[in-house]
Parts: sequence; structure tokens; C-alpha cells
Amino acid sequence: MTANAPALPPFWSLVEAHGDELLAHARRVAGPEHAEDVLQDAFLRALRAYPRLRHGEHLRAWLYRVTTTAAIDAHRSRPRERPVAEPPEVGVSDDVDADGAFEALIAPLPEAAREPLRLRFVEDLDYDHIAGRLGCTPQAARQRVSTAVRTLRERHAA
Amino acid sequence: MTPLPDSLLEAVASAAVREGLADAVFTRLNTPIGKLLVVQGPEGIARIGFEEEPEDALLAGVAAELGPRVVASDRELAAARDAISSYLEGDASVLDLPVDLRFVHAPFRRAVLETLHDTVRRGEVVTYGKLAERSGNPRAFRAAATACARNPVPLVVPCHRVLPSTGGIGNYGGGVARKRVLLELEGAL
Repeated sequence: MTANAPALPPFWSLVEAHGDELLAHARRVAGPEHAEDVLQDAFLRALRAYPRLRHGEHLRAWLYRVTTTAAIDAHRSRPRERPVAEPPEVGVSDDVDADGAFEALIAPLPEAAREPLRLRFVEDLDYDHIAGRLGCTPQAARQRVSTAVRTLRERHAA
Repeated sequence: MTPLPDSLLEAVASAAVREGLADAVFTRLNTPIGKLLVVQGPEGIARIGFEEEPEDALLAGVAAELGPRVVASDRELAAARDAISSYLEGDASVLDLPVDLRFVHAPFRRAVLETLHDTVRRGEVVTYGKLAERSGNPRAFRAAATACARNPVPLVVPCHRVLPSTGGIGNYGGGVARKRVLLELEGAL
């Protein structure tokens, strides 16, 4: 840890400060029925990794990423009840990194839907920044992310 | 936004304790002497804060001393909660909980608090000089007073039972009014 880096805060103060919004995030990426299990798993993953973090910066964004990764892993490990159109197998292996898994997850969607999802859940941008990148209003950015999430969920539930 | 359910938080904290991922566990407790924040370390109760002490600073101190993996759980600390509540509500005559004195770095101050925890029972009082003597250094009554003033685990290490030899009830980290309430509860006043 460098002298200027803030020390790691008590883990639970992060949970209490960001838990509600992380649950909302888990609902978006994993669906309401899996959100609590995903978030519980995400908190435990975060706790395991926490002492190895080098500084106490960007912890909220880090927790968002851990939650997204937990949602993706939960999705991949869940038995499919009915046959679905599988995303391409490219990149879907046990040693793939989270972004590779995320790409596989969103592969069935058109690029116009994939890009807002990457900006939101991989780059963890807020809607103002997503709007800047997509060249639209924040409202439109929110709409595009929300529509893409809905389409993705429908694809995987089909 | 839907608030995080308590059941989820308890499940996370219990799993963390079970897997050895928690450096410290804390709980918030309402008692007749106000709200307390109780922190359990590896070997026992390591820190108790009265409600005047800002929680952020207290927990930051816990993270610095015990490690950053600090979790909250009423369930994991149920035994300590029951013991403290029963004691302060007058339903239990002794408060006997293991303590973890790793917040106390100076060896003599630590010896003073261990002596106090082990030898001064409910209803008894002791002077700072006597406590220093029992801890191995009869002349170090000022150091004994400092140890009490900085006691990280009030109530469990009963610094409220230490009085000045000059009379009166002296000072208390949690305020003189609380010291008086505790001594009256114990029948020492």
C-alpha cells in the first residue's frame, strides 16, 4: 500500500453503503429470482479478495464488477430446464475471464444491443457516460440498456 | 430501491465466519445505558463503544487493528448480546465473556486490564493504586489510571469498578453518570 492510498475501510461499511443498489444491479443482471443468491455469492467473493486489494479506491465500482461476474457464473452453472439456442461456444470455457463469459452471454444479441450492455456492466459506466459514448441522451441510454437486458433475459428464459 | 433483506446480510456474515473470512464481527445493541457497539475479535470481545463514540471511526479502528474484513451479525454474537443485555437489565449477576486485548499494545496497561478482568468481581471496587500493585507495579497508579481510561472493552473489563483513593467515583470513559449507574446496579454504591 502506498503512503497516499486510502486504507481499506471496514468491509461492512461498503455493504451498508452500497448493498441496496447492488441488489438492484443483481436484479438487472441476474433476474429477480436469482438476485439475492447472486449478491450473497458476490459479497463472499469480495470478502475473499478484499485483503489483497492494494488500496481503498473505486470500491463501489469493484463491487459492481464482482456482482456482474457472480451473475454470469451463476447463469453458466445453472442447469437449463429446456433446450435453448446456445450462444457460440467460443470463449466459454472454465478458464475464460469474466469479460469473455460476458461476451458469450450477450452473443445472441445484435451489436446494437451488445454495446450498451458492455458499457453498463463491463465498463460500469453510469447513464450519462453511456449516453456520451452512444451519442444519445441519458434517458435513451437507460432505455437501450433496459431493452437489451430484457431481450437477453427473454432469450435465456426461452 | 428495495432494501437489502436482513436475512441476506445474516447469511453472508454467517458464511464469512464459517469460512474463516471475518477478521472481526460486530453487533449493535440497545441497552438501559444506551446503544452499544460490540466487536468480537479472534479470541473474544475486543472493543465496546458507547453511543457517543462515532461508529465510523470505531469501525475504522477495528479494521486497522484486526483487519478489514469486518462483518455485522446479531446471530453470530447472540451469546454476547444476551450476556450483556441480561447483565445491564439486572437479570444476570455476572458478565463473564472472553476478552481479546489486542487493542492494548503497552504490556503494563494490558496487565492492568487482565488483572481487572480476572480479579475484581461484581460489587467490589478497587483503587488505581491497589490495581497497579496487583498488576505488579505498586507505584504505577497513573499508568493504571491510563489503562482504565483507554480500556477498549468497558463493562467486560470492569473499569467502572476502579475508584480514586482520594474519594469520589472518579472519571469514566463512558461518562461519570454511567459509572454511577453501573456501580448502583452492582450494589457497590
